[in-house]
Amino acid sequence: MDKFLYLISEGLKNVWRHKVTAFTAAFSLFLSLFFVGILTVAGSNTHKILEYLRTKYKIEVFFKQNVSNEEGVGIVHNIKKIDGIRNATLIEKEDAVRIFKDQYGEDIVEILGYNPLPVSAVVNLIRVNRDPIEVDRIIKDIRKLSQVDEVRYQGNLIKKIERTYQQLNIRFPYVAAILILIAVLVIYNTVKLSVYSRKDLIATLQLIGASNLFVKMPFIFEGMFIGLFAVILVLPAMIGTVEGANYFIDNFTSWGIKFTFDINTIIWLFAIVIVVTFIGGYRAASSFLK
Amino acid sequence: MIEFKKVSYTHKKGSGVNNLSLILNDGDFSFLIGPTGSGKTTLMRLIYFDLFPESGNIIVNGFNSNNIKKSKIPKARSSIGMVFQDYKLLFDRNLFENIALPLHVLGFPGREIPERVDEALELVGLHDKKHHLPKELSGGEQQRACLARAIIKEPDILLADEPTGNLDPVASFELVRLLETIHETGTTILMASHNYNLIKGRGRPILELKEGILRGH
Repeated sequence: MDKFLYLISEGLKNVWRHKVTAFTAAFSLFLSLFFVGILTVAGSNTHKILEYLRTKYKIEVFFKQNVSNEEGVGIVHNIKKIDGIRNATLIEKEDAVRIFKDQYGEDIVEILGYNPLPVSAVVNLIRVNRDPIEVDRIIKDIRKLSQVDEVRYQGNLIKKIERTYQQLNIRFPYVAAILILIAVLVIYNTVKLSVYSRKDLIATLQLIGASNLFVKMPFIFEGMFIGLFAVILVLPAMIGTVEGANYFIDNFTSWGIKFTFDINTIIWLFAIVIVVTFIGGYRAASSFLK
Repeated sequence: MIEFKKVSYTHKKGSGVNNLSLILNDGDFSFLIGPTGSGKTTLMRLIYFDLFPESGNIIVNGFNSNNIKKSKIPKARSSIGMVFQDYKLLFDRNLFENIALPLHVLGFPGREIPERVDEALELVGLHDKKHHLPKELSGGEQQRACLARAIIKEPDILLADEPTGNLDPVASFELVRLLETIHETGTTILMASHNYNLIKGRGRPILELKEGILRGH
C-alpha cells in the first residue's frame, strides 16, 4: 500500500515538475473530451429537435366524394390503427368549408351552390421514436384503404429530416472514436516526452532494482492526473455550453425545447479518460523501456 | 556469492572481458584494479546483469546469467548495492528522497523509511544535509550520498565502480574507510579503481584486469 501511495505521489510530482507540458496536454485533451461530450449531449438531445420538427409533419388524407361524415369516422378509426400513427383528426365536410373560408376568405358553398369539399383527415405521426419514420410505408398503408382518394404530405422534407437524423446517429460513433484516438495520442506523446526527459531517473531506478512496472506506474499516473484535470475542466465547460444553448433557444427561437445535460456523460468521459490515459501512459512508458 | 565461469564479453568497440573465471565468497572485500578500458566496468555490469556473457556464465546469489528471466533481474539487483563514479543521484530530489528511493522500490512501509535514511546518512556523515539537493553538495559528499543509497537496503553485495574517480585523495581515503566499515557488517564488497596507491597495503585481495584478462588473482 505504501508503495502504491508512493507511486501515486510520484505521478503527481511528475505533473508538477512538468507543469507547462502537462497543462498543454491537459488543454488538448480537454478540447477532445469537450467535443466528445458535446457530441454525446447533442446525440442525446437531437431527438428533441427531431420531435419538434416531427410536429410540423402534416399528412392530409382526402376521402372519396361519396364518403359521409359518419363513414369518415370509421375510416379515421382504421387510419389510427396503422403502425407509426399517433392520431388522426376527422375533418367533416362542414369543417372543410369553414377552413376554406378561413384560408381564402370565400364561402365555396355560396359560390358553387353546393359543397364540393370531401371529408378528410389530418394525420399526426408518432414523434418520440428514435428510429426514422417510415413515411412511405405509412402513406402506402393509408392509400390501401378503399375510401381514400388522395394523400398529401411533405414527402421530401420528411425524408430529408429523417435521413439527416439517421446519418448523425450513424456518424457519431466514428467522430467520437476519432476524438478519443486524438486524446490517446495526446496522452501518449505527453507521457513519452515526460519519460524521455527522465532517462536518468529510469536508468537509476532500474539499476537499484526497480521493476519495469515500478518505473512505469508514475508515468501512467501522471497521464491519469492530466486526464482527470481535463475532465474537471470539461464539466463546467459542458454545463455552460448546454445552458448557453438553452438560453439561445428560449430567447431567439420558438422551438420550445430544452437541452438537458446528463451527468452520466461526465461519468462516461471519466471512464474514457481513465482507460485512455492508462493505455496512452502504459504504451508510452513501455516503448521506452523495451 | 559471485562466481564467474570462463566468462567472455566483447563490446562493439572492442574492450570487455575474456575467458574470466572468478569466485568472490560471501563477506569478501576485494579490489579490482586496472587501467581505463581494462574491463572493470564490464565486469561490474555483468555482475548486476546489465550485460550478459557471450560465453561462460555468472552466478550471483543463486541467479545464473544463462537462465535468469528478464523479470527476475530487479529481484537479483535488490540484493546488490551499487556506487558509481558519476554518483547517479537524481538532481530534482533532495538527499533524503534520493536515499529513500531503494526503500520505496523494495516496498518498505513509509513509517520505517525516515529512520533508515537517517541511519544511512549518519553512517556516511551527511545527517545534517538530508534536505540539500545534490548540486548543493561537494563531489565527496555526493559520492557518500551515493554510498548511503547503495547500503540503505542492506545489500548482500556492494559494487563500487571507480567510486573515488572524481574525489580528492582525502575524500577518497575516507570513502574506502567507509567501505571497510560497511564490510564489517558482512557485506561482500568489490571496489574497482585505477588508483593503486589508494588500495595497496590494506590486506585485501587485489584483482588486476588488463585488456579483459584477469591477472594476479
